[in-house]
Amino acid sequence: MSWTSWMPVLVLLSSLVTALVIFCLPENRHITRGLLNLVGAVIKILLVGVMVIGVEEGMTFEARYTLLPGVDFVLRADGMAMFFAGLSSVLWLFTTLYAIGYLENSPNRSRFFGFFSLCVTSTMGIALAGNLFTFLLFYELLTLSTWPLVVHRGTEKALAAGRTYLMYTLTGGAVLLGGVLWLHGLVGDVDFREGGVLRDMPLALHGQFSLIFAVLIVGLAVKAAMVPLHGWLPLAMVAPAPVSALLHAVAVVKAGAFGIIRVVYDLYGIEFAASLNLLWPLGMMAAITILYASMRALAQSELKKRLAYSTISQVSYIVLGISLFGPIGTIGALVHLLHQGFMKITLFFCAGNYAETLGIHDIKDLDGAGKRMPLTSAAFTLGAFGMIGAPPLAGFISKWFLGVGAVNAGMTWALWVLVASSLLNAAYFLPIVHRLWFRPRRAEGWPKEQQLSQRFETSGWLLWPTVATALTIIGAGVLAGMPFSPLSWAQLVAAREYLL
Amino acid sequence: MNGLAMNVLAMNAGWLLILAPLTPLLLAGLWCIQGYRNSYRNSTATHGESAQRKPDGTPSAVLIWLTALAPLPALLIAFFAHSEPHLVVEPVLLGNLWVLDDLSRGLLGMTALLWLISGLYASRYSATRAAPAQPNTGFWLCWLLALTGNLGLILCRDIAGFYSFFALMTFAGYGLVVHSGSDRARRAGRLYLIMAVPGEMLILSGLVLAASAATSPALQALPPAIADHAWGDGIAALLWAGFGIKAGLALLHMWLPLAHPVAPTPASAVLSGAMIKAGLLGWVLVLPLGITALPWAELAMTGALVAAIGGALIGITQREPKAVLAYSSISQMGIITSMLAAGLMQPALWPALAPVVLLYTLHHGLAKGALFLGVSGLQGRARLWLWLPALSLAGLPLTTGAAAKVAMKGALYDASYPGLILLLGVAAIGTTLLMVRFMYCLRQTAQQTDSPPPAVSLTVLTMLAILASLIGLPWLTADVAGQRWPGAANAVQLLWPVAAGLVLGGVALGLAARGRLSSPAIPAGDLIVPAERAAAWLMRRWQRRPAWRWEDVVQWEGRWLARIGAWVARLDQRIVGQTGALFVVLAVGIALLAGLT
Repeated sequence: MSWTSWMPVLVLLSSLVTALVIFCLPENRHITRGLLNLVGAVIKILLVGVMVIGVEEGMTFEARYTLLPGVDFVLRADGMAMFFAGLSSVLWLFTTLYAIGYLENSPNRSRFFGFFSLCVTSTMGIALAGNLFTFLLFYELLTLSTWPLVVHRGTEKALAAGRTYLMYTLTGGAVLLGGVLWLHGLVGDVDFREGGVLRDMPLALHGQFSLIFAVLIVGLAVKAAMVPLHGWLPLAMVAPAPVSALLHAVAVVKAGAFGIIRVVYDLYGIEFAASLNLLWPLGMMAAITILYASMRALAQSELKKRLAYSTISQVSYIVLGISLFGPIGTIGALVHLLHQGFMKITLFFCAGNYAETLGIHDIKDLDGAGKRMPLTSAAFTLGAFGMIGAPPLAGFISKWFLGVGAVNAGMTWALWVLVASSLLNAAYFLPIVHRLWFRPRRAEGWPKEQQLSQRFETSGWLLWPTVATALTIIGAGVLAGMPFSPLSWAQLVAAREYLL
Repeated sequence: MNGLAMNVLAMNAGWLLILAPLTPLLLAGLWCIQGYRNSYRNSTATHGESAQRKPDGTPSAVLIWLTALAPLPALLIAFFAHSEPHLVVEPVLLGNLWVLDDLSRGLLGMTALLWLISGLYASRYSATRAAPAQPNTGFWLCWLLALTGNLGLILCRDIAGFYSFFALMTFAGYGLVVHSGSDRARRAGRLYLIMAVPGEMLILSGLVLAASAATSPALQALPPAIADHAWGDGIAALLWAGFGIKAGLALLHMWLPLAHPVAPTPASAVLSGAMIKAGLLGWVLVLPLGITALPWAELAMTGALVAAIGGALIGITQREPKAVLAYSSISQMGIITSMLAAGLMQPALWPALAPVVLLYTLHHGLAKGALFLGVSGLQGRARLWLWLPALSLAGLPLTTGAAAKVAMKGALYDASYPGLILLLGVAAIGTTLLMVRFMYCLRQTAQQTDSPPPAVSLTVLTMLAILASLIGLPWLTADVAGQRWPGAANAVQLLWPVAAGLVLGGVALGLAARGRLSSPAIPAGDLIVPAERAAAWLMRRWQRRPAWRWEDVVQWEGRWLARIGAWVARLDQRIVGQTGALFVVLAVGIALLAGLT
């Protein structure tokens, strides 16, 4: 095996080995565990960085291993894979730092960080999966490795949420499995390829392809939390804040969205999917999800719940972008995969900071919190404005490309969906921002205040990852034209999808 | 060699343009740092350990000075930058473009000058004000961000950049409006957002639609794209309405008379003098002016005249001086809007109208700024100086207003809208009446309230603003419009609305003094009052009808989830260990895969 085929394997191993070692560590070795986590995260970022540069220059990194005759285990780094892998590796580092601070002095940290690393391993596997079978394998592994994180607190509520989570995702997984098997029966083992592979298959199969598409999408839509399969997500927010952040920004919902991207672009091919008339139902589903979840978010009084519904809505922006035929819509979808990650992880970090430092869970208790926690509140404000799509933040770049893509694809209705959703976003985020900065602090004080730092508003472990991800929201927007910015990378990938 | 030197100079001048919005932005950063130290110090002080530190976190005087001077680089650029510097910053946004042309030079000069005077005014403002109205860290931060937006949107000529600065100014402006924290301010702020956010969305959708047909990310590409677009009329209408909210277009104006007066005086001055012009600039930059005629332009013209005359009519019923001025802004913006509408009706008129729009805009900005500053900057007889900008607005000969009005009438003479010149004359009578009303209300409020005399520095700054509004014209427009001072032939044409207004105003005041005339009280915000009542009524109806209750909609999904939860719980009992079950499924799946192949 050459070094190029070792690279994707090493990326997986960097967190898999971390996970296994952490499982073996005694509970009280906090510093060793923290170091291991960080070393693993940094190594992964370096490996992914090397591959990103390689892929940009046209190299391929592929590892192939035949499991059974006709069933290959394939890891391959193409542009699309690096998109998701880059997001996961960077945000994993931030979330690890955050989680170390968040779980200080709480029990069962070995278990938590072990599954945490396993979860990232699965996410990287999903990113690098080179065919449907490999994808499915890691997709299910992700379900299993996130469940212990969701129920981490072990309360009745958490266990109930965990049950619901498993029911949804396992059923979704089973449906996906059905689709994969059906397709496998028809065409055998096919690798993902830029531009798609199914177009070249016999015409007689096209009818079945449409049905298989529906089955695959329904299976994936559970994790992508599309209405009406979204019920698990608002419940899963009982998990600790870093888990919510990971679930909402990187791992689970993104795995679903990324799966849809893979199916549409690299399995069917966007042109083939459009010719089978599969895109507009997908777009309608996304539009319904966007609007419905925004309305639901409006009605939530708990901060994390509101953010959870906001995720449902925002992840479907990605799906909406996928359904827009044309490179600009594709760029919008891909770039939002990253931008939504940056913005949502910031918002969840902030929610965690408020909960840990001041004991705030309800939106109404946030009055005047801007004075007490200025940096956290500034980060929240950036995340909120980003979600609304205010320029020059990351969310604006996504929205701009989605909007122009919708018009170019002849689906102008999607532009109105985006506009309506932006208004709803403003309606549920601006009141929070207003409370933070413009309302006086409540007379009865904070629900449960802790002095976590002498010099800053909260513990540095919680504060600095939040500030860093908030800065990426500005950076990804203002410097969108830089090489290797999310936008530039999305343009590169989109060019490859349409030219091949 | 010479060419090279020119190139270097041009490049440098290009980079200088960024300095204009960057200076206030960097200062905003400094305020953040200081604010962080102070506010966190305060909140830890409650824990006792650092109680002996400075209690209120007073911002440093140097920082306030720097903040007040933040528009200085922009002012210097407007007056001293040679030729037409421009700059392309490819890596920023979707390709960032900065241009200083005649249009932006004039606007930049006026905007920076007004912000500078108002900033100095605000920095001296605190001494005589009650505590809540004093500028604090939050105020200065919003001030600087709004300034950044205002200067940036004048110079930035790519779509994303312009829209970014526009949005920054909009959202930072909210902080200025609600600064005093009173109930009135909060209501005004709420309305401001309720109208501004949909306004942003109208602009966004218009820009997206136009940009998807445009050839480049520069604003310059939009007017031809709209002109050629199949839905060009609709796109232009979206942009007209979107920018119109900022510019106080009739029926979209309701936030303005509430928001402008309620802000602290210097903030009112920049809101009504400078920031209101952003919408206008948006129109000039994106609408297909001079390229094609739009079918709804006559409607727009009617709307503009309704604002010009209606604003004056409602304005004279106001009791508060600042509210009178806010309605005057609506009226004046209506007059300027009528020129744009004429340009949209007859593209051939636009080349002559464009410089006049600029001229009128600069004149109104400075005059309105001076009037607002005069509300709390002058006292006693000194207030009489305010008649100068007031009558300049009305178009008294030998003032900038007269120059603007003569130029406007000359350019509009061929517009095919019945009675246009006459109606604009009526609007000018209205303006004169408004100014009489303003001076009257100013005296009344001064007599009723025992406010302490303004600091000398405030008076000096107000006088400076008045001076700027009077002599601003020759500076700012020397090489912009090439307009000459109106000759004697125009004097009659200019004088009659002023004379008529003054006579009418005098009669009204005389009658009022004898108790024969009581003005009907139209509340500030006019149509918003019934609209608010209707909204409240609808909300009550909505709540009362059980089938429509919002809570039901909310709970619906809750029930649905609960049902699924119960179902899951039942299933759960049957499956022992979900993980095991999944592995079974997976194993069967893999076996099936193997079997199939």
